[in-house]
Amino acid sequence: MSNYIQRLKDIVTDFDIDNAQAVAKEAIESGVDPVAAAAALTDAIRQVGDAFGKGDLFLPDLVCASEVLKKAFPVINEAIEKSGRKQASLGKVVIGTVFGDIHSIGKGMVATLLYAAGFKVIDLGINVKGDDFLKAVKEENADVLAMSALLTTTAMEQKKVIQGLKDAGLRDRVKVIVGGSPINQEFADSIGADAYGATAPEGVKVIKRLLGIE
Amino acid sequence: MRKGFIRKLEPFRILSNAQVEYIHSSTLEVLEKTGIKLESDRALKLLKENGCRVDFEIKVVKFPPFLVEEAIRSAPSSFSVKARIPEDDLHISPSTLYFMPAAGAKLHDERTGKLSIATLEQNNQGVRLCDALETVDFQASYCPFFELKDVKPVMLLAESQASIARNTTRVSRGAQATDSFIWEARIANAVGKQLIGTIEGAAPLCFPEDAINAAFEYMDNGFPIWATGGSVMGGSSPVTVAGASISNNAETLAAITLIQCYRRGHPVIANDFVIPMDMESGNLFFGAIGSGFHQMAFNQIYRDLYRIPTSNAMAAFPNSKLIDYQNAFEKTHLAMSAALSGASMIAFLGSVSQELAWSPLQAVIDNDSANIIGRYIEGFEINSDTAAIELISEVGPSPGSYLGRKHTRENWKKEYYVPKVFDRLSYQDWERTGKVSVIDKAKQRTEEILAEHNVKPLSDDEERQVRKILDDARAYYMKKGLL
Repeated sequence: MSNYIQRLKDIVTDFDIDNAQAVAKEAIESGVDPVAAAAALTDAIRQVGDAFGKGDLFLPDLVCASEVLKKAFPVINEAIEKSGRKQASLGKVVIGTVFGDIHSIGKGMVATLLYAAGFKVIDLGINVKGDDFLKAVKEENADVLAMSALLTTTAMEQKKVIQGLKDAGLRDRVKVIVGGSPINQEFADSIGADAYGATAPEGVKVIKRLLGIE
Repeated sequence: MRKGFIRKLEPFRILSNAQVEYIHSSTLEVLEKTGIKLESDRALKLLKENGCRVDFEIKVVKFPPFLVEEAIRSAPSSFSVKARIPEDDLHISPSTLYFMPAAGAKLHDERTGKLSIATLEQNNQGVRLCDALETVDFQASYCPFFELKDVKPVMLLAESQASIARNTTRVSRGAQATDSFIWEARIANAVGKQLIGTIEGAAPLCFPEDAINAAFEYMDNGFPIWATGGSVMGGSSPVTVAGASISNNAETLAAITLIQCYRRGHPVIANDFVIPMDMESGNLFFGAIGSGFHQMAFNQIYRDLYRIPTSNAMAAFPNSKLIDYQNAFEKTHLAMSAALSGASMIAFLGSVSQELAWSPLQAVIDNDSANIIGRYIEGFEINSDTAAIELISEVGPSPGSYLGRKHTRENWKKEYYVPKVFDRLSYQDWERTGKVSVIDKAKQRTEEILAEHNVKPLSDDEERQVRKILDDARAYYMKKGLL
């Protein structure tokens, strides 16, 4: 049993995306408690995150480790559901790149890191119309709306969406975080966002802080 | 053995084959018809015995072309040099680029640009700092400082070589002034390493006695020789790059011929140290394009025609009195052109304020620059793995991303160098964390290195021998009335 717990940690710290799903499946089939399996994965990703914070590991390592979780978690989550227990989720985040903007890498990084951290992530993709953001926030009952803009020309879309939330009476139901290279704290404050993340890893930390998560 | 940077990029050639031939044959003409003054009877006799026409009165040697071309052929195209530890051994060859620090007279204050005379202890620290920097493959002479508060000028080179022996395990250079080579060679032998010895000319077309004596002494100790003409364009050599190439080449080949006549096959590295005169002031014109062209032509001729490794020393010195943009530009364009055109050694780290100063912070900054310059000549791999065609297909069009891919994780470090002290923060982070500059970061890194870095100490016996050699040197200079 403990061998599988270690193997689940190892696939994360070895960045073994190719075998992730198979190892998770084997672990569950051999009787590992799926909640313990999930904890093994999140322990390991925290280790990777700490090493990243220290400068021992870098973005490709962090994202690869998160991709391992993306492959392994669906198997484990399915097992948790089948066992009748609730899937642990830190919260629901709707994320996308604003209308008129097709940049996806930063947003994709945040989405992946959030998933790895234990959030349920609804990624609307790129060039997302304001109405689609509002619809997803409402339908998913999202805790957080995260918007990315990489162009100074599209940054104002973030302001429009926040206004849209206010007009639809949704503003108080959701925390809004904005990001992207032309964005800064000053801009975030001026458009009424709740928070700003300078980098993807920082964005995850800020979201946890917004939701009062350790 | 020190890896240095392994050359994969084809060297950048600025001359046509015909131009290379023209410079070479013109050099032979100067050597045959004008000749070189060698202020050493021993050298004059040796060259006479080998077929030169020698005027003992005016001490001028005229070299027959066959002898010069034989010397070029017998000088090896690559050779090894032993350090205090095997990891620091050098293999000098056209395939490898090594860097070394530059000499500086005084210590530089990075805030004010003010120069002050360093102590021997500061010199020791500077040598130890260089030992910690991974692009310092070799320790130069007069380096870090050639004026020291607590050392009499005539003892400088002996004390400096002792400081090097104690504070780094790298190979170092031996100098030639005031019989320093006697003590420098003995110190090297006492601590079990080789030097790269020197013969440095006094242009135009002349080698003084101490230069020649140094060469003989270093050769007798089995140390390779660093041969330099060295001239000021428009002063001691023609102002045109072509003319200065020919006169400097005549000087350098004269030295190489002397060396090969004394010991056939003795390893030599040809050093280019030619600089235009600043015609407004008469000062040396550091950072000048004239030096850049000169060294590029020099590297090409020595690599392609002579097959003798080269060193370039002019990237070492900026005009700028500060650690600033001008400093970086002046040194970098010369170091880049040196590296790209095929130099095997480049003097670079630590210099500021012409030849007058050395800064440990500058050396730390230059270490990052040297890493990038050296990385350039290593090129990048093109093969089926690096081409990543299958990966391109897998990732597909937007919104595909390469960030979370094994290929990215495994290859990014090979593709580019991440500087240690250059500021790379986002503007927001830079503002928030105190607007830290490259100089601030270099200062911090310098302090960290000096607090943490240790060097294999000399054994008690080696230390005893070094002290005895310094005592002997003092006695020698006192007897000569120089101390």
